[in-house]
Amino acid sequence: METLVNGFKNNRAFAVTSILVVLLLLVAVAAPVLAPYDPTQATMKDAFLEPGAQHIFGTDKLGRDCFSRVLYGARASLSGVLFLVASVFIVGTTMGVLSGYFGGKVDIVIMRISDMMISFPGMILAIAVAGIMGGSLVNAVIALTIVSWTKYARLARSLVLQIKRRDFVDAAIVNGGSSSHILWVHILPNILPMMVVTAAADIGALMMELAGLSFLGFGSQPPAPEWGLMLNEGRQQLQTAPWLMVFPGLAIFVTVVIFNLWGDNLRDVLDPRNNAIE
Amino acid sequence: MKKLFKASAAAAMIGLLAFAAAGCGGGDKKAAEKKEVVKMGVTNFADSLETTDNYFGWVVMRYGLGECLVKFDKKMNSTPWLADKWTISDDKLTWTFHINDKACFSNGNKLTGEIAAASILRTFEKAPRAQSMFEYESIKGEGQNVIIKTKKPVPTLPGMLGDPLFIIVDTSTIKDRDTAKQGAICTGPYAVKTYSKAKAEMVRNEHYWDGPVPFKAVDILTIDDPNTRAMALQKGEIDFAINIAAGDLQLFKDKNKFNISEISSLRDVLARLNVRPERPLGDLKVRQALLRSLDRVTYNKVLLKDTFVPGGPYLPPSVDYGYDELYKQDPNQYNPESAKKLLEEAGWKDTNGDGYVDKDGKNLEMDFIFYSGRAELPLYAEATQADAKKVGIKVNLKNVDYNVLDGIGRRGEYDLCISNILCLQAGDPEVFMKQYLTTGQEQNGSGYSNPEYDALSDKLSVEFDPAKRREIIIAMQKVILNDAASLVFGHPQTNMVSSKVVADAEILPCDYYWLTKDIKPAQ
Repeated sequence: METLVNGFKNNRAFAVTSILVVLLLLVAVAAPVLAPYDPTQATMKDAFLEPGAQHIFGTDKLGRDCFSRVLYGARASLSGVLFLVASVFIVGTTMGVLSGYFGGKVDIVIMRISDMMISFPGMILAIAVAGIMGGSLVNAVIALTIVSWTKYARLARSLVLQIKRRDFVDAAIVNGGSSSHILWVHILPNILPMMVVTAAADIGALMMELAGLSFLGFGSQPPAPEWGLMLNEGRQQLQTAPWLMVFPGLAIFVTVVIFNLWGDNLRDVLDPRNNAIE
Repeated sequence: MKKLFKASAAAAMIGLLAFAAAGCGGGDKKAAEKKEVVKMGVTNFADSLETTDNYFGWVVMRYGLGECLVKFDKKMNSTPWLADKWTISDDKLTWTFHINDKACFSNGNKLTGEIAAASILRTFEKAPRAQSMFEYESIKGEGQNVIIKTKKPVPTLPGMLGDPLFIIVDTSTIKDRDTAKQGAICTGPYAVKTYSKAKAEMVRNEHYWDGPVPFKAVDILTIDDPNTRAMALQKGEIDFAINIAAGDLQLFKDKNKFNISEISSLRDVLARLNVRPERPLGDLKVRQALLRSLDRVTYNKVLLKDTFVPGGPYLPPSVDYGYDELYKQDPNQYNPESAKKLLEEAGWKDTNGDGYVDKDGKNLEMDFIFYSGRAELPLYAEATQADAKKVGIKVNLKNVDYNVLDGIGRRGEYDLCISNILCLQAGDPEVFMKQYLTTGQEQNGSGYSNPEYDALSDKLSVEFDPAKRREIIIAMQKVILNDAASLVFGHPQTNMVSSKVVADAEILPCDYYWLTKDIKPAQ
């Protein structure tokens, strides 16, 4: 935590991107206050209105206000991706730590499952999983978790293998520390910064994948305001009502850029090697 | 040094992008200039060219490969095609079709009565749908005649033989061919060179019996996404396209570049309503409430930009079965206030304040099955969801693949199931009037059963007099309207848009004819 506070004070890029991330989260939380209209309220007589004074982002095919939908979309998209990152992080790290620490059969089983998952093309497997379970944001998160946990498992395993050989772990074993104690107190805190940095850097990519699944109809379902789904809905009017794709597209673009930059800066702040150089 | 490196990297990137962009497009300009090879953009559901499987015969006919004994004109009258005339016996049980003497297959074999009869028998043998159309006593060929004896009088038999299910194939060569991939040998203006669901290469039938075939080859590309199809036509990647989406038609208004051929189709976009007692729509009042909650006029006029005619009656205004009168009589036109009242009368009230009406602790929820192959279907589905919500009905949208729709429909695994359907499948609405609503029909997954409707349906089966048939069909539509047995959203215009490379690319009301011998290179 101290490192983060210091990073905020000393690393201007990290400070700026952190503020932007907070702003994004605020927009998502405050969407009901900021949005001028109900995002699902269809006023069909006002369909396909161009951006103007009344509807600054125009209206969609059912006359719903696009600005309100983009704002509410931040809720669905951000909460979806944060859940996704959290679940991938927890599942992957747990599997990796268990595999690396206990080794033997546990390691073989977990790693072979992981190998199998890696051998499939990720997005196709996610589409298959989401297709079988039916389209919804929760199912899309589950599908992407199933596809993405292996990366974290492998990373966590390799970090645990490095740390396991260190003297302080041997000392803990000699002192009679139980496996769970050693894992919680000695191993996890040491691999956590690296795992967190990886997760933060992945937010952007996972957001694209989640939006991709929604775009293909396997994620959020109508009438939910979700950016990927809105892109898909606007696709049919790409030439006649381009604002239906431009604004959700911009929202995804800006959010992904902000999270990617924040992830990079967070790595700079948390990476022990950078501190060592200083 | 660093700057120089950056500048050269940027220049290299721009160069690469320009190179990549140049690689896109270009296409077959040479061929198009010669006007011998053209490209057509379509939607396609068939992964096989076997005419007796599923509805794949439609594709065989649409692609200019297969022909029937009978053809439908612009008013859907049965007119001669491979058969140049036909007669019926006095007892109304024996039909004699005379095959045109010039008719021959693309391999040069002459089409005789025997082969035509064998082809019809093959269809009966392989396609259960044929057996549901009419029952025959005997079918045989004598010289150039095909003689069909039916068990009961079948007033619409010539029209039925115009259905692509009865495309005439060369049965003498059929065993040597993989009809799914190569198609059977047929009599149409084009023969198939290669076929996959994604692309068909059609080539001129050098033995075509009915005049010259204008193009040496026609490549038919499956572009299921309507927007992509429109863009392909704009860019010149295809020369003509079927069914440009309503919203995109304005992109082709420049008469110097494109021709739009538009016509009122013979189609309904309708949602079958599952009226089984255990389903929410089993209650007439709930059905009426749902129908009255939907502003179908706005859907068609605003959302679909006036390219659809508002629905209500079961049959479209393009055929003379009393649309205008029935539309006025429809008791379930848009009236959200009365919808709310009906729900209340049926015992549905919003007791927990969640915006949806409920009874016995359960919200009034319905599953709406749709597919997105046609642009208007998701739109109608979402509009229904939005409007139904306003009266407290929760509609859950379920997007399914087109290929599973048929099964879902038969098994009744829906509350609403939308599709875009041709109403005059055999030049007459009889099949359509019966298939979803008559008791015991295979397609009647909705569980609808009304003795009055069944009696009218039976009467229609044996009635030959066109005026009386019209009366019966109107009476059947009245029953449907009063029972709120079906939800007709609208009736589409259908279109074919062509670039100036081709001439006479005209869409016909009947959905079977796309690539015909009449579409020519522009002069």
